[in-house]
Parts: sequence; C-alpha cells; structure tokens
Amino acid sequence: MQFRLKENSVCAEKEFELIKITSEVRDFIAETGIRNGICYIISEHTTTGITVNESLPCVEKDLLEGLDRLVPEDYPYNHNHYLPTYGTIGGNAPGHLKSLLTGICSVFPVVNGELMLGHAADIYFCEYDGVKNRHYMIYIMGE
Amino acid sequence: MVIDTHVRPALFAPICENGEAFQKRCDNMNYHLMKPANISLLKKQFGLADIQKVFLLPSDCSYHTGTAEISNDDIAKLVELEPDMFIGFASADPRNRNAAQELERAFADLKLSGLYLNTARLQISPEDERLYAFYNLCRKYGKPIIFHAGLSLETNALAKYARPADFEKILYDYPDINICLTHVGWPWVQETAALLMKYPNAYTNTALMSFDGPYQIFHKVFREDMGELWVEHNIADKIMFGSDSPRIRPVRSKRGLDSLNFTEETREKIDYRNALHFLGRED
Repeated sequence: MQFRLKENSVCAEKEFELIKITSEVRDFIAETGIRNGICYIISEHTTTGITVNESLPCVEKDLLEGLDRLVPEDYPYNHNHYLPTYGTIGGNAPGHLKSLLTGICSVFPVVNGELMLGHAADIYFCEYDGVKNRHYMIYIMGE
Repeated sequence: MVIDTHVRPALFAPICENGEAFQKRCDNMNYHLMKPANISLLKKQFGLADIQKVFLLPSDCSYHTGTAEISNDDIAKLVELEPDMFIGFASADPRNRNAAQELERAFADLKLSGLYLNTARLQISPEDERLYAFYNLCRKYGKPIIFHAGLSLETNALAKYARPADFEKILYDYPDINICLTHVGWPWVQETAALLMKYPNAYTNTALMSFDGPYQIFHKVFREDMGELWVEHNIADKIMFGSDSPRIRPVRSKRGLDSLNFTEETREKIDYRNALHFLGRED
C-alpha cells in the first residue's frame, strides 16, 4: 500500500472563482503509478471549497450566483467586527459560509490507474475570498 | 479609475526580507497572523477594486522603537518598483534630533510626494512646535500632509492626540498646504465634516475600519453621523477613497462606498479626482 501526498498552489484572478483542477489530479495519479486505491482532494483554507460539477461557463456562473443569493455580501454577519487577534476587520463571513456549503474536500476511486469521475464532471477549487495564494492537497492511498 | 489614498505597505514583500524587523513592524502597527504578499498578487487585489494608483504611507516612531517600521527608504524602494502605481509619502519622528533633515532628504533626494504623520502614535499635539519645521518643509517643497485622525489601532497610540478639531490650527496656519484628516476622524465624524466645510485645504478619506462590515459602517458614517445630503451638497470635493489596507481589503471598502449610491459626479470625485487635486495634479 502506498500513501502519496502532493500540495498544489493556486491563485485566482477574481475574488470569487471556480478553478478547474481535474487535470492536476489526473496527472498526480499517473505520477504515483498507483493502479487501484482512493484519492482525496482537500483544500487547506476555510474560505475556499472543493467541489464537482459540469464544466460549462453558464453552469459555473449559476453556481456562483446561486451561492451569492444564499449568502449575500451585505448581510450583517457576526464576523464583521474588529478582530484583535489579527488587527483587522473580519469581512469574509460569506466565504466561510460558502465553504461550508460546498465542503473542502472530494473523494474518488482510482481504478486501473484512472480517476473514476463521471463524464460530465470536473473537479473545482472554489475561491470565495480572493485573491490570495492558496493550497490544496491531493492524497492517494492504494497500490 | 480609483486612487486608494490609504495603504500601509507593511506586508509588501519587497520590504519584508528581514524577518525580525517584519515581526517588530507587525507588533508595533498591530497586524497579526498575516503573511507578506508579492507585488503581482497585490496588484491583482487592487485590480479587483479598479485601483490604479495607491498612496503608500510610512510609519516612523523611531524615537521610541529605534528604527522606523516603514522607513522613507522602504517607501522609495516600492515606488521605484511600480512608479506608475505607487505614490510614496514620507515621515520622520519629530522627537529625533535630525528629524527635519530626514524629511528634507525624503522630499529632495527620494522625491516622495507628501508627509504622513500619526500624532496619536507619536503622542504629541499637532501644534507641537517641533512639527512646525515639518510643516514649513511641506510649504517649501509644495507637499501635502496626511494626518492620521481619530482612533488609531496601532500599539501605544492615544486618540486624544489626533482629534480632528486639534488640527484646525494647522489648517488655519497653512492654507496653502492641502491637509487630509484620515478615517473621517472617526469617531469624531462631525468635527471632521465641519473642518471640511470651512477650510478649502481640508480633505478626508474613507478609510473606515472599526465596528461592522463595510456596508454598515459606511451607512453609519455617511448617512447617520452626517446628514443625508452633506456629502452631495457640501463636501463632495473633500473626500477621497482610502481603504486602510491591510486592516480591510480594498475591494470590500469600495463595496461599502458603492452601497451609498452617490451620484456619478460625486463618485468620480471620491474615486480619483479629489486625490489628484489633493496632490496638486491636474486631472
């Protein structure tokens, strides 16, 4: 049994953005040589997400706009106050809530060296509090 | 276009190379748990708010701390890296023996664009006689002054030394120098507004941070603490956009300003025209 971890960096161009990372995941599976096992993709941040959806620009737009309707920017969130531990004003409550909604990880089987993903599906790193330097992990267990 | 008139470059990577100095700067300026960011990332962040020019404000309380947290040379170094984007301000600690020479060096040799002072942090009155040498240098070189006004979140800063009304004598004595009282002088908003109304050389910026998120604090200051029409009818020429980054993300600060729905003409003034006038540049 092998346990292989890779940490990837990502930086969005926009404040809120869905960034496709499917090819990065497939490339790492190939690099490890693991034929059968399980693959986790995990974000390291609390205002980001990892999710799966169909890679169409209209769908991506609907996903982000739908999250905006559920979690509006101008709501008086409890987090919006002076944070002595940072010396800053908490302003990213919507990012935390969107992260909760999508979750910060996804998991897939690896069979015969292939990532088992539906034909219309892509894996996304979701930026909800950009622009920042971000990291996510790909962790594969198998043989 | 937007000009951000209030950025403290404490986390700008090119001036964060010395880890010990960086930690001391963060401790003194009260910034915690944040990492330096390189210029390309910062430009992306400013771009989210359509910010194309940025005032970089230094920090010098070196009489007590030994060295300036953000020195004139740090500011000049950043301006040299991005001369079309960064507009650098100078400072000096007036309690140091060579303070006036340092400020003159910053104007004459480093070509910095104005003076920034935080009298709350220095714990001296704006009318302290040692500062008049600074004001006279600003007059000599034709440079504007940005004073921190109101509550300062920096360590060892006392707001009683930065109450807006206490800058009136400087506005009065130096009518030929443009003077910005930052943060709308929060919490003394009405004192600031009164000075803006009376003195042609008085300016403020929108660097609001304190209670609430940007929507709530902008509404409180510009719609409740001020009369609803004060900005549009009286002081639209006196307010400049300022974010107070890194205490608040510029794009969020701008969103708070957007929510006030000022007229297009007023927004152009706040976004960049007033800042150009403040600097003495034609728009």
